Amino acid sequence: MTLWMLVLPLLGAAAAAFAPGRLAVVGAVASAVATFATSAFLAGSGALSVAWLPALGIDVTLDPFGVRSVLVTTAALTMVPVVLTAARRPVDERRRYLTALLLMHTTLNGVFLATDLVLMYVFWEATLLPSLFLLGTFGGRGRRGAVTKYLVYAITGSFLMLASILAIVPLSGAASYAFADLLPAARALDPVVQTWLFAGFAAAFAVKLPLFPLHAWLIDFHRENPASGVADVAGTLYKVGGFGFFAWAIPLLPDGAAAFQPILLPLAAATALWGGLAATRQEDLKSMLAYMSLSHMGVVALGVFSLTPLGGSGAMFLLAAQMLSTGALFLIAGMLHERTGGFDFARYGGLAKGAPALAAVTLFALFAAIGVPGLSNFPGEFLALAGGFAASPWLGGVAALGSVVAAGVYGVNTYQRLYQGPPGERRADLRASEVLVVAPLIAGILWLGLAPAPQLERIDASAQIATTAAVDPTAVPPHAADAAEGPERSPASTALAAKGGER
Amino acid sequence: MIVPPDGLVLGGIAPALTLLVAAATALILGTVRADARQGGAVALLGLAAAAVFAVRNLVDPGAHGATFGVQWVVDGASAGLAVAILVGTFLAVLLSWDAPVARVGDRPEFHPLLLLAATGGVAMVHAGDFVVLLLGLEILSLSVYALSAWRTGVREGEEAGMKYFLLGAFASAILIYGVALTYGATGAFDFASIGAALAAGAPGPLALLGGAFVLVGLGFKVSFAPFHQWAPDVYTGAPTPVTAFMSVVVKVAAFGALLRVASEAWPATVPSLDLMLAILVALTLVVGNLGALLQSGAKRMLGYSAVAHAGYLGLAVLAAGQGLASPTTVVWYLLAYTFMNLGAFAVTHLVMHDDPQGDRIEAWQGLGARKPGLAIAMTLFLFSLAGFPPLAGFFGKALAVRAAFDAGWSSLAVLALLAAVVAVVYYTRFVFAMWFARAPRAIEVAPSDAARWAVGLAAAGTVAMGLFPDVWYALVEGAGAALALVP
Repeated sequence: MTLWMLVLPLLGAAAAAFAPGRLAVVGAVASAVATFATSAFLAGSGALSVAWLPALGIDVTLDPFGVRSVLVTTAALTMVPVVLTAARRPVDERRRYLTALLLMHTTLNGVFLATDLVLMYVFWEATLLPSLFLLGTFGGRGRRGAVTKYLVYAITGSFLMLASILAIVPLSGAASYAFADLLPAARALDPVVQTWLFAGFAAAFAVKLPLFPLHAWLIDFHRENPASGVADVAGTLYKVGGFGFFAWAIPLLPDGAAAFQPILLPLAAATALWGGLAATRQEDLKSMLAYMSLSHMGVVALGVFSLTPLGGSGAMFLLAAQMLSTGALFLIAGMLHERTGGFDFARYGGLAKGAPALAAVTLFALFAAIGVPGLSNFPGEFLALAGGFAASPWLGGVAALGSVVAAGVYGVNTYQRLYQGPPGERRADLRASEVLVVAPLIAGILWLGLAPAPQLERIDASAQIATTAAVDPTAVPPHAADAAEGPERSPASTALAAKGGER
Repeated sequence: MIVPPDGLVLGGIAPALTLLVAAATALILGTVRADARQGGAVALLGLAAAAVFAVRNLVDPGAHGATFGVQWVVDGASAGLAVAILVGTFLAVLLSWDAPVARVGDRPEFHPLLLLAATGGVAMVHAGDFVVLLLGLEILSLSVYALSAWRTGVREGEEAGMKYFLLGAFASAILIYGVALTYGATGAFDFASIGAALAAGAPGPLALLGGAFVLVGLGFKVSFAPFHQWAPDVYTGAPTPVTAFMSVVVKVAAFGALLRVASEAWPATVPSLDLMLAILVALTLVVGNLGALLQSGAKRMLGYSAVAHAGYLGLAVLAAGQGLASPTTVVWYLLAYTFMNLGAFAVTHLVMHDDPQGDRIEAWQGLGARKPGLAIAMTLFLFSLAGFPPLAGFFGKALAVRAAFDAGWSSLAVLALLAAVVAVVYYTRFVFAMWFARAPRAIEVAPSDAARWAVGLAAAGTVAMGLFPDVWYALVEGAGAALALVP
């Protein structure tokens, strides 16, 4: 089952690239749907391990344990409407779009599933190429600059991470690059060495998160990406820096994480605040969405760097949830662009009269994105902020200001400027093909929002590993435990249930 | 049946002998009928036969050991490097299959010279003492001097040949002087005895000076900075198939020799030589990568990129020379480098028509739309050279950097990866030109099916080594890459 997560999208990519005529589209869509359907059964399936370069301890190991399966399933669900949207592109573009998207899906699944550190790096790097290709081929006028900026940021980060990856085995004496082998060996490393290694990982993950002030590439990336929103959603799926911290850097190097927490936690809060505030000031829809997404990532980072199981679980849940809500909004933005030919708010206003269904869907996705309870982002955001408060009440407050208060402002403002006011030119309402695109995302948003417990339980299993250092003070030096000290220690799902009861 | 005298094992030198026979055959046939195809066919046959012997040397442990005294060593490293040289020469012959006909058809020396150069290279990687090393080096160098000046009447070509010859002769002289000083200090030519003599007591200034001169002489051939200036000029001036050939074969041979010298003749008790090598490596990484950033043409860029890759290879040699990492790393990297670098030059050859003035980035604009097959191949080669996974170049760089960490050269390893960030920028500039820019004019590609085969084989090698790195690694490592020198 696990291997199919790589094989199915790869087959789809091959079909999209080589199959004749309509068969290419059929193959691509079928592979996206099949990948999602298969991913639903991923949770219980076993790990896979094949020797790759055994002399150096590098293997192909894939394991859908815990948070990994949740992210794979949500990403696969998001991929279905993305592929459907790309399939509607003009014939000459369609093939390249679909091939790049499905290749990206393949490697992205690899990032989530790989439990060998070198293999994770291989997928991590390989995911970059299709997203560069999409931006460079179909992007706007400033795409060359955006591509170069994106590339330099990403490569600088990931080569520094590669240094840490390659060094971690010789330094720790671990038997291989497999997570299970690294975990005890790396944790036993001297705190100073851990800090240096963590710095290498942090360089890559903070860029990809992205964390303020390394976020400049993100805004250009979204601004220059093609209007349909397809590449934006793919880029949203690829914001896996938080996952990298949570699944690799923090569990392997708890002392390094503790040493960096005083730097990273304020940066996370700043990201959440800056993203939220900047989103309220944007004059076009896509920039607004870019900053909104940045704000979400700040909350993800806050939860992860709180070094509590609670915050970590919330952050990973939010990471999965924002794939759906932000993804829906970028695709809706593409639909609006199709109708008006631009993204600046000045073109819009009063659309609700002529396109009530589109307005309703937009409002729904916006509500999900700003964290309205009952929809996908709320459980994650709540838990991540709760973790942040536990680690530092001040910084938690700052982040909440950005992600909750500012979110209310930009969410309502955006809806108002798009759909309310004096009706302008009449625009078409949601078409049948577009309903097909948004339906899976709406279903997903409701699914995560109304029944978060099963997913949170799976994430919690990973969170316990990620933060054993915080839970079990005997296992680690005392300062690491201090850093993660917090009043809230119960598993995340229980905490959320309690909160639900209060409401 | 010919029975060799006692102590001589012909199997070990079979690859070199086969090449020599093929070179002689091509030369003699060339006097009867001047036909480049005929020379090429003989060369391909000879290379294939030599490859059979080289692979046998690699997989059959019975063939391992030293023969001719200790002057000719067969082990995993030397047999593996010989395979890399033969693969590189084979692809270069394919690449020049149609190309030299116009200018070269009436000169049948082309293929014999290629084969002789390969013979010299094979001798260098099998060398167990400085005499064989020097013999191999001179056979290789003299052939390549002539080849690099092949375009008579073209100013850049003659300049390239002259520059390479003068600087190369100078470097050879320094190397010979170094060998003489080493002999004076240790009384031996063979690496094992030199190593034993140096390890016995604190080496005097004579031995250190000798070692330094040897390092400089070989450093010129592998294009370590600051002895690298010839590389971009010669790469640009020589005909592209020759550039493709020398960029890989000379590098494999010279690194093979350096690996052997560093690990056998310079024992770990002489850290100053390692330190010198480390300084050269650091300089090479910086100069090569920054230099490549400033180039506007593909051949010059690849010339500096060859310098940069010498830095990564030097890192692996440094670690292997100290005995703290497996020499297999060097052997693995060099075969990967053979595929990707030769492939990149092969596509350059097809796109540029060997026009000395045509070496500009504009020549690549829009290739993705006009010739997607070639553009995909070139993208693979450039991404591989840049170190993107899962291509061969990624494991090359990863192995080299890992070796540096294993040997404790952590700061050099980090420097190597930071320099690699610069490398990504200059390689991807050509990728962007191919895919994201519109073609200013129609692109005409040289019509050569053989050259296309060379591109295809190199691309297959680049991808396969990245996806299945262990095949080649296990083959070399399994052959006992721990150098099998018997004093």
